[in-house]
Parts: sequence; C-alpha cells; structure tokens
Amino acid sequence: MASSEAQYESDDGMDAFMDKFKTQRYKNAFSENNWEEEFDKIPMFMKTAPEEIDPKTHPELACIQAIIHDEDRPPEEQAKSLKDEGNAFFKEKDYQKAILCYTAGLKKNCRDQEINTVLLTNRAAAHFHLGNMRSALNDAAAARKIKPDHLKAVIRGAQCFIELRTFAEAIQWCDEALKAHPTDKKLLELRAAADKHKRAAERDARKAKAKERKVHSEKEALLAAIKDRGVKLLESVKPRQQGSDSEEEDEDSSAAISQLSLDGISSKEVTGAQVFLDEQGSLHWPVLFLYPEHQQSDFISAFCENTCFIDHLAVMFGEVAPWDTDRKYHPQNLLLYFEDEQMETLYQINSDASLLKVLQHKRFFVKAGSPSFIILVKGSPFCTQFLIGKKIHGL
Amino acid sequence: MLSDSEVAELLSFLTPATRPDVKGQATGYFLGLSGNRDGCHFLRSKPDLLAALFALTSDPSIAVAKDCYHILINLSADETLHQVLVADVNVLPVLFKNLVDPEYQLSDQICTILSNLSRHQKTCKTVFKVLQEELGVAQLVEIFCTEGYNKMAKLHYLGPLLSNLTQLPEARSRMMDKDRCVLQRLLAFTQYQTSAVRRGGVIGTLHNCCFDHVHHEWLLSDAVDILPFLLLPLAGPEELTEEENDGLPVDLQYLPEDKKREDDPDIRKMLLETLLLLTATKTGRQTLKDKNVYPIMREFHNWEKDIHVRAACEKLVQVLIGDEPEQGMENLMEVEIPEDMEKKLTEADVREEQELEREEEQMREEEENKKNGDQACVGVSAHGAVE
Repeated sequence: MASSEAQYESDDGMDAFMDKFKTQRYKNAFSENNWEEEFDKIPMFMKTAPEEIDPKTHPELACIQAIIHDEDRPPEEQAKSLKDEGNAFFKEKDYQKAILCYTAGLKKNCRDQEINTVLLTNRAAAHFHLGNMRSALNDAAAARKIKPDHLKAVIRGAQCFIELRTFAEAIQWCDEALKAHPTDKKLLELRAAADKHKRAAERDARKAKAKERKVHSEKEALLAAIKDRGVKLLESVKPRQQGSDSEEEDEDSSAAISQLSLDGISSKEVTGAQVFLDEQGSLHWPVLFLYPEHQQSDFISAFCENTCFIDHLAVMFGEVAPWDTDRKYHPQNLLLYFEDEQMETLYQINSDASLLKVLQHKRFFVKAGSPSFIILVKGSPFCTQFLIGKKIHGL
Repeated sequence: MLSDSEVAELLSFLTPATRPDVKGQATGYFLGLSGNRDGCHFLRSKPDLLAALFALTSDPSIAVAKDCYHILINLSADETLHQVLVADVNVLPVLFKNLVDPEYQLSDQICTILSNLSRHQKTCKTVFKVLQEELGVAQLVEIFCTEGYNKMAKLHYLGPLLSNLTQLPEARSRMMDKDRCVLQRLLAFTQYQTSAVRRGGVIGTLHNCCFDHVHHEWLLSDAVDILPFLLLPLAGPEELTEEENDGLPVDLQYLPEDKKREDDPDIRKMLLETLLLLTATKTGRQTLKDKNVYPIMREFHNWEKDIHVRAACEKLVQVLIGDEPEQGMENLMEVEIPEDMEKKLTEADVREEQELEREEEQMREEEENKKNGDQACVGVSAHGAVE
C-alpha cells in the first residue's frame, strides 16, 4: 500500500536524521534561556490558549483549528466539534465564548437533530448562567420543539420560567415532561418549587390588593370626615372660579376633596405630614405658622382640631425663640390671621378658638393639605406696616 | 316479561348488520326495560342479551351506541348486576380502552358506569385490577386533570370513580405514590367551581386517603401540602387581623372580599371530617394548630347554617383547642377502646344524631313560620337512572 510505504520511507528518513546526531550536535534545540517560552508555544504544552489565534505567531494552533473547522467535513462533524469546543469553554465558565461556539454549531444546519437539540440545550444553559433568561428560554423551547420530552431542555425551561416568575408555565412544562418521566426527581422538585412560588405570588397579589383597599377606605373615611365638618379644601392646580355663591362653593369643595390625594401627598413630600383621622374620630392637621417679620415659620405636624391656638402658642413661646432677638413674641400679645387669597382679605382669629372652628369659617380654604396662619406682634411697627393697604376682617 | 322466544327474536336484531331503524327500536325497548327494577332483574339472567347490547356500544350509529351505554348506566346502578356485567359480559377492559381515547364521544357515559360499578368494595376490587392492567391510577388521574383531554366529554364522573377506588388500600397506595406526582394534581380541584361532582369526587378521594394515618406527615409536608386545599373551600371573605393572616398557609392569606365558601353542605362536611382525620396523630394536630386553622373555623362556624356541618366543625374545634391526650394515646386511630366504652360512645352518637334531627326539625318549623305560607319548592336530584 502506498501510504504504508510512505510511512516506511519517512521512518527511514527519521532514522537517518537521528543517526546524524551521533556525530554532530542538534542546532534547533531550545536554549536554556528561553525553553519555557518555547514550550508554551507548542499546543500540547500550552498552559493557556491565546485569545486570538494568529497563524503567524501560532502556526501549529492555526493548523489544528483548520483541521477542526475544516469546511470540507460534513456539517454533522463540524457541529459536533463546535459543540465540544463550546463545552470546553462552558467548563471554564466562559459562557460568552461557549455561546459563540454553540451558535456557530447551529449555523451548520446539520441534519442530526440530536446534535441540534444538545447545542440548543447547552446554549440555553450558558445563557441561563449569564442571566439571559429570555434567550435561555427561547433555546430551551426550540430544543423541546425538536424533542418534546428532552429532559434537560424541559428542566432548563422550567428554571427559566421560575426565574421569570411565570410559574404556571413552569408547572405546565413539568407536567408535560412527567408523562414521559413520571418519577424524575428533578422534575418533581421543580414542579413543587414552581407551585410554591406561584401560590406565594398569588398571596402577595391578594395582600397588595387588600392593602390598597384599606388605604382607599381610610382615605374615603378621611375625606368624609373633612366633608362632614364643612372644611373646604382648595385645589392648588385648578384656578378657582370667580364670584362664588354658596352653592358653587359646595361644588368646588367636593372637587377639591377628590383632589386631596394630590394635595395630601404633596404636603407629605415636603413636610412628611398629612392630615389624619385618629381612633377617636378627631382630625389632626399639619399646620404652618408664619412670622413674616422675621421670615420664619413653625410647623406643627399634627395639630388636633379640638385644641386651641393658644395651647400651641403657649408651648412655642413659653421660651424665647432663637430668632426673636427683641424678645417681642409672647403668647398673649400675638395677632393671628388667615388669608383669603381669592378675596385678598386677612381674617383675624381669636387665639382661644379651636382649629376646627377656624377651619369651618366660611372663607377658610385649606391649601396644599396644610392650613397656614400669619402671626404678628400686636402693636409692633412691622405689624402696622404689614397691615397697611390690606383688607382686614377683624374679630 | 318476555318469553324465551321473544328474547331470541329481539336478540337477533341486536347485531351490527340489522337495519338501523329496527336496531334503534330494539335498543330503545331495552333502555325502557332497564329503567325499572324488575327489568334490570330480568336482564340479569340474560348474559347473552347483555353481551349483545354491550357489543352495540361500538355501533356506527351514535344513537344506538348511546342507548346501549344508557342501558349499562341503568344496570350498573343496581348492585346485583355488577357481577354479571364485570364477569360474564367483561365490560371493563373495553370501557377503559375507550376512556383513554381522547376522541371517544361517549366517555362521560363510561365514567358514570365505572363510578357505579366501583361503588361497592367487591366489584371495586375488580375495577381496580383491570384499571391497573389497562392504564393505572396515575394515568387515570392524569386524564382527569388534563383540561380538555376529551373535547366531547367533561369526565367529571372520574371524580366519584377515584373516590370509590380509594376505598381500597391498594388504590390509596397508588394514589399516594411518593415517587410520583399523583395526589398532588388533584388538590387544585377542591376549588373547581364548574362541577360539584368533580369537586365532591376529589374531596372524597382526599378524605379516603386521610384514613391512612401513616401518610399524614407526608400529606401535610411541603411535598403535598394538603391542608390549604382542604381549608380554602371553608374560608370566607371575612377580614382577619394581620397577625392571623400571617400565621395561615399562604393560600389562605388575605382572601378577597368576594371569596365564597363551598356551596354543598355535604362537601363542607366531608372537608371538615377530612381535617378531623388529620388530627388523629400528634404531628397532624400540631400542624393544624401551627397553621392557624382555628380562626378559619371560628369564622366558618359563625357562618354555617346547617347544623350537621356545624356539629362537624365543633368536633374539629374541640380537638384544636383541647388538651393533648395523655402519653400512649397520641394516635387517636390506634387507641384501643374497651367494649363497654365503645357501646356507650355509639349510644352517645345516636343520641347526638337524634338531637341534631330534632334541632333541625325545629329550625325548619321556624323557617316555615317565617315564610308564612310561602310556597316551598323542593328539588330532588337523583343520580344514576336515565331513561
């Protein structure tokens, strides 16, 4: 045979070649200085493969690669080599590269569906480990389409469904596969896990709904309490109509009430407080005291509607406020006003009055969910100046 | 009744080759006959006639086949015909084969016959034996649980069949195969709104399975988690506190305002009895206590109108709030009861039953008085006999 003869020939050549060294030294040997580097260049002894294989620097590797990916080989073989290469990357947890190999393998469009199923399932696994659940699921589904009871594909798909929180599908896939593999532990486990997750998710949905319902009914109760008292809320967004008679006012306030959520939340964002109904059925309002003379303000986060202004003032000005340099502010010598913005009128308030009584005043409108009051010092020059040119409604 | 010669003549019409209209006349006649007791008893002594009628269940004319199935339904409703049907006519293998066929048009009729035939233990054993040879319990459950398995049949009567089968210990052990997912697949059907037959069958099956106290721990474990499925039909829309909610199995937590309870008092009672069975062992009692069953029962008791069901609920609550039995008596199914004690208990049971009857009577009278002469409409539903 020709080939075996050629082998003899080359063996003869080898003998002659080897015999030469009995008389002369081998010149191409590795030197003591760079033998380690040289060894690393030989595929068999390489510790790591280079990222890119350049035929110039690594001719041997390029040859091997050419053999593996020989375009002349049947697509089945090529796909299988690519699968093996992908598996090698997979083992080293280089999932990106593994995916490239499996994809290249699939592109060979080989007729062996067994290999295609494995390529798809393996690519699904690589995607899964990268957290690409959608891609993983697509591959698992494609593999399952080719081979409906392919256990690995079903298991991977069910895992993806669980990760994607579509538990019903996970259960369905498991049930389908359990027909062919009724006692498979992994399938049974996955089914149980999916079922448990599904029921927990359903509970969470019910709980969220119940909470929403509770918040809603609390808000309804709050709005009803405000409306029952005849307290009027002013919409901050919508401009109020001019010249309101009592009936119109009513309409406006109900519109404003429906708007409370907006106002309430906005006040909450700024100050962290919102009007609330306590267990005894009293309302507590976030209230702002403004001191224009000093451009200062006080914020009372929960002013019970049944307490009087003087109670709060007594506490606040029991001690001198840090900004009150002239020590003018005493609970007894303060003038309280609220402003009717629409009519541009200031209404004076008796400090012995309860908050509720003031809020029920026919010209009082709660703005931005939080009533505010102007406080001046009786007889002070600023007070006189401040009130000049304003419409005042005294006590 | 028919004379022998008349029987022979009719029998000659019961062949596939007979003209369809004549055949229809003949099967129609036997359907009428099977509608009453005497007719059934007459047919019992004519196995060849029955065999011919059974053969015509595969007649190309659907009307004839349907007639023959209905005859079998009527016959199987009578226990004295079971042996003839199962042994002499050997209906079971063919029935199971047709049942498995997803295209078969008359599967619902088969379900009813099988459920009738499996009612009494003796024939039930044969039904189970043939079932195992033909497809097995697991596949039967699979068919039952696959929605739209058969486009032409609802297969609800497989529920009562499963319930009947699980009166046998060997069927229960197949049902509770720990290496497979069988019983687990039935659980969701305790909430199946479309059919009380299916629901009742499933709950009956669970009830039967709970007789095996060795399986209680498994039934209550995560592997099956039977408890929420028994409780859910008994839970209502009442709002529980957050603390009560969080202690419940997840399926029972934060139920919506429109949550409805099981409609059928018999099914409610069966659910309560199943729960009571689960309290037979110490671990069972502990699980039911830990899973906060009490508030569900408290609300249920407030709601329940039927005194028999209320009594069942009270029994369960007794166990839930009562002290643990003394050592050595922890397994209530294994406690030996002395003969005289047993007698007393039986008497007490009878007394209790009578008391309940009296109470019910009283309530009914009160209702009547309240209605003030309103016309009462009483509906009676009967299973089995079709004409």
